[in-house]
Amino acid sequence: MQLTHLNTHGEANMVDIGNKDPSHREAVASGRVRMAPATLELLGAGELPKGDVLATARIAGIQAAKRTAELIPLCHALSLSKVSVDFTLDRDAGVVKVEALCRLTGRTGVEMEALTAVSVACLTLYDMCKAVDKEMVIEAIQLESKQGGVRGDYQRTRAPLVTGDGTPGEVSLGGRCELSPCVKVKFLAELRERVGISELSLSLDRLQSRDVAGLKAALIAQDASFAVLEEQRTLCAINQVMANDAALITDEDEVAFFPPVTGG
Amino acid sequence: MSDPRIIVTVQEAAFAFDEGYAALLDNRCDIGAVVGFTGLVRDFNEAPEVTALTLEHYPGMTERALGDIAAQACARWALTGVVIIHRVGRLVPGDPIVRVLAASAHRRDAFEGCDFIMDILKTRAPFWKKEHATQGDYWVKERESDAGDAARW
Repeated sequence: MQLTHLNTHGEANMVDIGNKDPSHREAVASGRVRMAPATLELLGAGELPKGDVLATARIAGIQAAKRTAELIPLCHALSLSKVSVDFTLDRDAGVVKVEALCRLTGRTGVEMEALTAVSVACLTLYDMCKAVDKEMVIEAIQLESKQGGVRGDYQRTRAPLVTGDGTPGEVSLGGRCELSPCVKVKFLAELRERVGISELSLSLDRLQSRDVAGLKAALIAQDASFAVLEEQRTLCAINQVMANDAALITDEDEVAFFPPVTGG
Repeated sequence: MSDPRIIVTVQEAAFAFDEGYAALLDNRCDIGAVVGFTGLVRDFNEAPEVTALTLEHYPGMTERALGDIAAQACARWALTGVVIIHRVGRLVPGDPIVRVLAASAHRRDAFEGCDFIMDILKTRAPFWKKEHATQGDYWVKERESDAGDAARW
């Protein structure tokens, strides 16, 4: 893999895009600002001392996208046809999610513009809220997707939305398991990478039927990424013994999902 | 006749080419044949230039599955013992991955028992290979031919 911003001598180099044909380009980036529940409440209610936080952060993000070429040394100046910045307040997770979309018809991609928009929108959120909360953390600034260009489209494989009180290595989806019968679920090899999680535990109360089919349905209802469990090639074992959809699940069982084996 | 001796090991470390022989023979003089198979990492597979591979397994289930396969072989053929050693973790081309030894009084049982164990292992034991090639990383896909080989038995 060649880094396009380095020339053959390893020196920084602005890529000549004059010979590329213009095409439709679009990029989406995202990030999060983690904050105290009280800060999130004030923000939602519009009661922070500096005024309308989200409107200010949105304008900051849009302005930043347009000025990306001034900030990032080897970026081309682009005439963007569309920039949008959106916010979602997730009170359960204690974060404000920021998502930016940039679009143009041109010769180079717009992912740096989308990432810059997210970064500056996050910084502005921080600035607007810092009077009441200095513990805020800006995190997970990343490209979600891009379309167009010679290298083709990109879509980040999304980790499933996990709520509840998980600790590293054991993530709970929904209700706590101490109070109810619980199943431990593992995802192995390629399947783990496709669903974006290796282990979770789930209350059996969330299963309409206490069997493998019921577990799959409950997981898919929780997050569409788990649809891969319905694929015919996905295999399942309960307590390390191969099992089919009709196999029953009881309290404390370990259920593993995995692809066909390829050892030897 | 005593019960067949079954030794199953899943390990990261490399193994010697004569690994398992001594334990299998155990100073016995009623064993007339030992058939051994060693699988090695190739530098070509789905991609032409494989630089390494990573083997993942399901601890617990793996050992149980290998033990079951060895026991099935002992039930079908007159084997005095079976050794299965399978490596996990990161391996490079030329590295040994898997070793199967089958011992019997007469050679036919050992040949067929060893062949059977490898065919069933490739379709039943919970191991997964991720290959690292010059073009990038990918999970190795299951093969129709492996399923066909296992169905022979």
